[in-house]
Amino acid sequence: MHQLTDNALMLKVKSGDLDKLGLLYERHKKRLFGFFYNMNGNASTSEDLVQNVFVRILKYKHTFTGEGSFSAWMFRTARNVNNDHYKKYKKEAHQAELSSVEYKLEDESRLNAKMDKSDEIGQLSRAMNQLPPEKREVLILSKYKGIKFSEIGEILGCSEGAAKVKAHRALKDLRTIFLQLETK
Amino acid sequence: MEQEKFDIWMMEYLSGELDENRQLEFENYLQEHQKRKDDFDTLSVAWNEMDRAKIPEPSEKMDTAFFDMLGSEKEMKKHEKFSWFLSLQSYFGPIRKPQFAFGMLLLSIGLGIGYLFNSNKSNVTEPGPVIVNNETEKVREQLVLTLLAQPSANKRLQAVNEASKLNDANEHIMKALFTTLNHDPNINVRLVAIESLAKYVENPEVRMGLVKSIAMQDSPLVQIALADLMVALQEKTSIDSMKRLLQQPDIDKTVKQKLEESINHII
Repeated sequence: MHQLTDNALMLKVKSGDLDKLGLLYERHKKRLFGFFYNMNGNASTSEDLVQNVFVRILKYKHTFTGEGSFSAWMFRTARNVNNDHYKKYKKEAHQAELSSVEYKLEDESRLNAKMDKSDEIGQLSRAMNQLPPEKREVLILSKYKGIKFSEIGEILGCSEGAAKVKAHRALKDLRTIFLQLETK
Repeated sequence: MEQEKFDIWMMEYLSGELDENRQLEFENYLQEHQKRKDDFDTLSVAWNEMDRAKIPEPSEKMDTAFFDMLGSEKEMKKHEKFSWFLSLQSYFGPIRKPQFAFGMLLLSIGLGIGYLFNSNKSNVTEPGPVIVNNETEKVREQLVLTLLAQPSANKRLQAVNEASKLNDANEHIMKALFTTLNHDPNINVRLVAIESLAKYVENPEVRMGLVKSIAMQDSPLVQIALADLMVALQEKTSIDSMKRLLQQPDIDKTVKQKLEESINHII
């Protein structure tokens, strides 16, 4: 069984058995896709970013020591991929944000009318999008089963306790935004 | 309880990191602290709502792209194993290919010609040293025989020294050396002749000649040198010669003592 753990598979990839990366991909593709989708809300971009994560895993496989968990290492890579993507397309994203604001300003009344306020799922998505990326990512990570706060601390580069406090604050902010949207 | 500690505890509860006992403990704590319970209820709604967020399934395109990438990576790895030439080629990348190929061709031709010349030369010169050595030996033998006939002691010394350089002395040289040892008027020449003949002690005739020479010597230095050589050779046949020498009335005391010691050593 030990041979099938994520760490054991990744160590095999490191030693040159690239086929084992296929197994790791199958195990983690949905979680990674979910992470990116929650971060950017775009399925196509998220698929590209998942691909980028595995390209980087191959490129930097020699840095995997097997001491920490593979999930933490993979999500740390995912976080870097997301940050790089965000920086690269910052201008475009900024322009897109501006146009969406304009769109909102112009058609706010029409949009509000169409919006079903009982649709709490949509409300939540909007609240999530309004959270700063660093708060969004800690909440997304803490919702994944199998990733403990100790690993989230590893991914974010902080202590376990600090990761819990960050998650709590992010959740509190999410709730506040959620309530604000509800009262509109 | 401090607020931050409670916040951490709450997150542990919500994320399911607490064991059953700690969960019960947390729930009991909430029953006893209404304000904390209100905080928890508010946040747990948001926490649970997050589960309802819809995330689409990734498309098959993502799988195809991944396995294409993995396949090409494996191919690259295969090529890497056998592509030392390619890496060499990339090292010489800036050099234009026709020029590089022409350079390599010239180098190969040069190496080939060099090898050919070198091998021919070695074939020709191989017997050279043997011939030269043979010629040198003959010249040296002639030189030894000529020099030994010279009246000058220095020349005869030179002759004996040259004789000791010969790899394999022939019968003429041996006879000439024994003649020098037994009849040369100069003691130093005779002493050097002993050293030269000592090279051929494996030859029984040489040993016999040396043994016979003991009784023929009148110089104490030569007698002692021969006695030392006999001890070194442990030549038992020399005992008679040495005893004969001892019976001579005018024998030097030092030589007498040395001969007696030598006889004792050989016995």
